[in-house]
Parts: sequence; C-alpha cells; structure tokens
Amino acid sequence: MPSKVTNQGSDQESTKRPMKAIVKPEERELELKQEEKNALQVDLAERELRAETLRAELGAFERQYLHFVGSRYAELDELKAEIAAHHAAEQPQDGRFQKAAAEARARAQETKLSAGEKSDEAPKSFEASPEMKRLYREVAKRVHPDLAGDGNERTRRQVLMAEANQAYERGDEDKLAKILTSYECSPESVEGEGAGAELIRVIRRISQARGRVAELDAEMDQLLHSDLYQLKSRLDEASKLGRDVLAEMTAKVEEQIQQAKLYLAKSSAPQ
Amino acid sequence: METTEKPLSGQIVRAGGSAGSNALALRSATLVARGLRDLARESNWLRVQAFRGKASKVAVSSVGTACAISAESRGTSPRVTVYDVHNSYAQMALAVPEETPALAKYLPATFAWSPTGKFLAGTWAAWQPSIHLFDLGDKEFVGSFGKFKQPPSYLAWSANEHFIAAATPGGKLASLRLWVLGEHGESIEDPTAAHAGVPDWLERQTYEAEFGEEGAFGGYGRTTFSPDGKSLASVIEIHGEWADDSILIAEAPSLRKIQSFQAQGHITDLSWTSGGGSLIYCAAGQTYRLDRETLELELLPFTAEMCTAHPRLPLAICFSSWVRESARGQLFAVELTTGRVFDKCGADGVTELRWSEDGIKAYAVAKDGAVYIYEPLAL
Repeated sequence: MPSKVTNQGSDQESTKRPMKAIVKPEERELELKQEEKNALQVDLAERELRAETLRAELGAFERQYLHFVGSRYAELDELKAEIAAHHAAEQPQDGRFQKAAAEARARAQETKLSAGEKSDEAPKSFEASPEMKRLYREVAKRVHPDLAGDGNERTRRQVLMAEANQAYERGDEDKLAKILTSYECSPESVEGEGAGAELIRVIRRISQARGRVAELDAEMDQLLHSDLYQLKSRLDEASKLGRDVLAEMTAKVEEQIQQAKLYLAKSSAPQ
Repeated sequence: METTEKPLSGQIVRAGGSAGSNALALRSATLVARGLRDLARESNWLRVQAFRGKASKVAVSSVGTACAISAESRGTSPRVTVYDVHNSYAQMALAVPEETPALAKYLPATFAWSPTGKFLAGTWAAWQPSIHLFDLGDKEFVGSFGKFKQPPSYLAWSANEHFIAAATPGGKLASLRLWVLGEHGESIEDPTAAHAGVPDWLERQTYEAEFGEEGAFGGYGRTTFSPDGKSLASVIEIHGEWADDSILIAEAPSLRKIQSFQAQGHITDLSWTSGGGSLIYCAAGQTYRLDRETLELELLPFTAEMCTAHPRLPLAICFSSWVRESARGQLFAVELTTGRVFDKCGADGVTELRWSEDGIKAYAVAKDGAVYIYEPLAL
C-alpha cells in the first residue's frame, strides 16, 4: 500500500538522518546573548584601550610639564616671595607690604607643592606600540572585571586589570603577555554549565559591561575637556608645525626667573 | 545550578601608575591652568574677552569681576550683568527690586566697585535716581540711598569701604556728596553725611556763568579717596574747549576744603600715589604729579589719558588712546621715580584701570568687553 510504502520510506529516512537536537528556548536565548556579550566584550576592550591610552598619554605629558615648566614656576614664585619679603622688610610699618609678603609666600608654597619633586631624569612622553595595543585589547577583552562571574573572580580580575593598566603605562610588553597567559591557563577561565544559570550570568555580565561603557564614555568626556588635554592638544598641534612649545614655555619662565633674580639682586644691593 | 549575586558594577580598581596619575592631575590643575593662560600671552599683559558686544558702561573690580550694561542679544532689554573676567563668563544679572527693565540702551550710568570687590555701587537712569548698593559676596541687593536730580557722573569708595562719594555734573545743581556706610556695607547708617555744592572759591565769572557757557562751572568729575580715607580729591570741571579744570582736595567725611589747584586743560584721570603724598593726574594728554601739601607740580615724561598708581609701590599703569605712528592706543606701566615706561600693550577703548588690592595684578577694561590683565613679574 502506497501509504505503508510511504511510511516505510519515512522510517528508512529517519534511520538514515541524524536525530535533530532539541534546542531549548533558554539555550537559543543564551546563544544570542553570548553573541551580544562577545560583541560588547570587543567594544569594551577597545574603549578600555582608548581610555587607558589617553590616561597614559596625559599622565606622561603631565609629568613632563611639571618637570620642565612646573618646577620653574615653583622657582619663580619662590623668587617672587623673596622679593615681596624684601619689600616688606623695607617697609616694616606698612601692613599692606606685610600682607603681600605673606600671600606671596603662601603662593610659593602652593606652587612648590603642586610642582612636586623634580626627578633626576626627564620624563618621556607616552607612546604605545601596535603590539602593546593588541595585547592590552586582548587582556581587556578576557580579563575585564565587568565581564566576571562571581565576586571572587571579579576581585581577581580587578587586580589583574590594574596590573595590566600599570604595565601598559610603563610600556611593559612582557608583563602584559604574562598576565594574558596566566589568566588563560587558570581554572577560573573555564566557565560552568547549565543553560538557565548561564543565561542569567551572561545577561548580568552584559549589563555590567554596558555600565562600564557608560563610565568610560563619561571619563573620556571629562579627560577630553580637561585643561591638561587642552594644553597637550595645543602643544601637539604646534609640534606638527615643527615647534617645541614645551621648550618655549620653559624658556619663557626661565627668562622671568633670570629677571626676578636680577631684580632681587638690584633691590638687595646696598644703596 | 545556582547563580550567586555579584557586586554592583563598578570601576576597575586603579592602582599604581593610574591612581598616581589621577592624583597628579588634581595636584597640578592650578599649574596647568597657569601654563594655558601664559601660553596665550605675549607679554605681562593678557587680553581676555569678558563679554561680546558693546557695553554702554563698564567697570572692573580689584578681583577681576566686571559689570556692564549690555543687551546680550537683539530684542532683549539692556541689563546690568556681572562677568568673571578670568573665566570669561556671565556670573549674574543685577536687578533693583520693583524696577522694570529699561528700554533704551544708552542711558547715563556709573558704577564703582568697592576696594575688596565685595560691593558694587551703581546708578543708572533706568533705575530710581539713587545710589543702589549690591553685595556681590553674598549675592544680594543691599539697598538704595540718596536722591538725585542730576545722576552722578562718578562714584568713589574709601579704602576701608566706609564712605561712598558721589560727584554730579549740572552746573549750579552739581554736588559732591558723601555717605557713611555700616561697617560691612550691609547697613546704611544715615543719610548724607556731607554735601558740597558749587565751590564758592572759584573765580566769580566761573561761579556765576550759566551752565554750558564757556568757562562756566560744569560740576564735579572724577573723585578719589586718599589711601588713608581721611581726604578725597575731586575734579572741578569747567566748560569750554580751552578751559582749565581744577582739583579740590577735601577732608572726609566733612568735605571741608583743604586745598585746591587749577590744572591746565581738562582732567581725564586722577589717582593718589601709594602713601597719599601726591596725586597723579592726566590733563590734555599730559601726566602730572601734584604734591598734596605744597601743591608743587611735576610734569611726568610720558603722555596718557588715564593713569592709576600702584597701592604700595612707586609704579602706575596708564592708557593713552593716541600713540604716534599707531592706529591703536596703548597700555603701559611706568616707574614713577624714573619715568621709565615699560610693558607696553596695544589696546583700544579702555575706560577704567584698576589694581588688585594686593597690587600683584591690574585690570584695564574696554567697552567692547576686552579686559587686559597685567601681571608684572616682580610684584
């Protein structure tokens, strides 16, 4: 009977074809969320890289600025305080001179504190190699605390990420590679099973990652609007035209220092 | 399988270099701002734009705040706005209670900042004809005092902020008046403490001439208290292109005449030197030093229309709108002992010069909203 033949045929076919796996709804959802998380992971790593690069560039620029210009401002303000003290000593009865001298001294101390101790070696500007950037991006993608599972793992990742940031700022390529290798080989990098629980985990990681993206955006915005960035941008622009504005600024303050020294010597010389 | 609650999403823990960088950024903020500002300057003068557009009246304080009457945009009423000069932004608009906004833009007005920059005294024809006092420190309107038929052309504060003097034009209606303020300016103790009308010591023809006639008494002009606040100097304005103004030196607060001196030409500025031993004044483009006791006059070797002496040192900043072979005017500093002119800076339309109280910087303000900040090296 045709119907039987058909049935037989059908049976035969069913024996030949592999059994179609039953995909549970939570598993399908998990797959989609995993894809979303993976894309976010890449995006987050890229943003972390950009933010960390900017932080490192600004940090290095700031150290250079304080080393060359800040230290000279401190020297200039110290001389100004000495000049004001000299005027005050000449006019001991005039309270305005005493007040001006006290204010100049306070300013000098504030500037000295802001400039910090001048290091023996001139700080260098920050520049990351393509390999450094690639390594940092990989570390941020895999180790990022906002993509962590439980609390212990998150804490461990935070420590690793902080180490990675330090290594990146120092330009320590080996250290970055080591962080990546040690994490990849650790048992914590293997995640547990169970679609339902895993789905919740992934959803929470996505949420955490999005929160971090928003934080990074806000931080970038703040950095890009900072005085430090404005100053660096102007110096970078001038640098493209062949000018070393940091050196020019240093020379300008240095000239003021020399003038102040002359003024002080002239004022202190016996009449 | 169980899932465990995780901590809230937070920042990556930043240790070592990064945390250090953040701390550094906070610590160095002042020095970075200073570098940015110095980058913009070519000399000891820094030009900043406090506001855009042309103001009908502008005055600058000793702490770098300016007030100006300006219409911010088309169709809006003129208003008195206070600007932070250093950061180039409008801080607040000033209003006298129960006054309606003015329609006309160029109504007579005069403003004077108190020496500390805390108070602003002002008169404006758009407001009731009184002196209106604002406390900018506490951001409040303090009150109004005095009634004027003729609005004052000049207001002056004593160094201790205890007295305010108002000089008005108007010929025979002109007056020089002085008020005593409360210790902190917030309370006004009393109506007019002293009043001076037409100076009877002027020549008879000057005294009797009709207002506006050549050689007639025009009224009181620029007025300034001596550094100790015990006397004030006020310009006696005389009408006519070739007329000569005089300077009245009077006691404060009585306004009793101590001295008077006839200058040559119209006086455009008047300032006490530090210590109050002499007055520097500008008349017909020349600058003079007048000894307050002996009235001995010295022609100073530079030309200027405005000149303000440093509060402590023998130094002044000046403005001259006419400079040979230049289309622009010029701001400059001058050593009063030697007459040496230095730190020149091209500038236009300057209406007021003001030293900071501590004397480490000075401000020159122009009607177009430009403010020139002078920060000389050794002060």
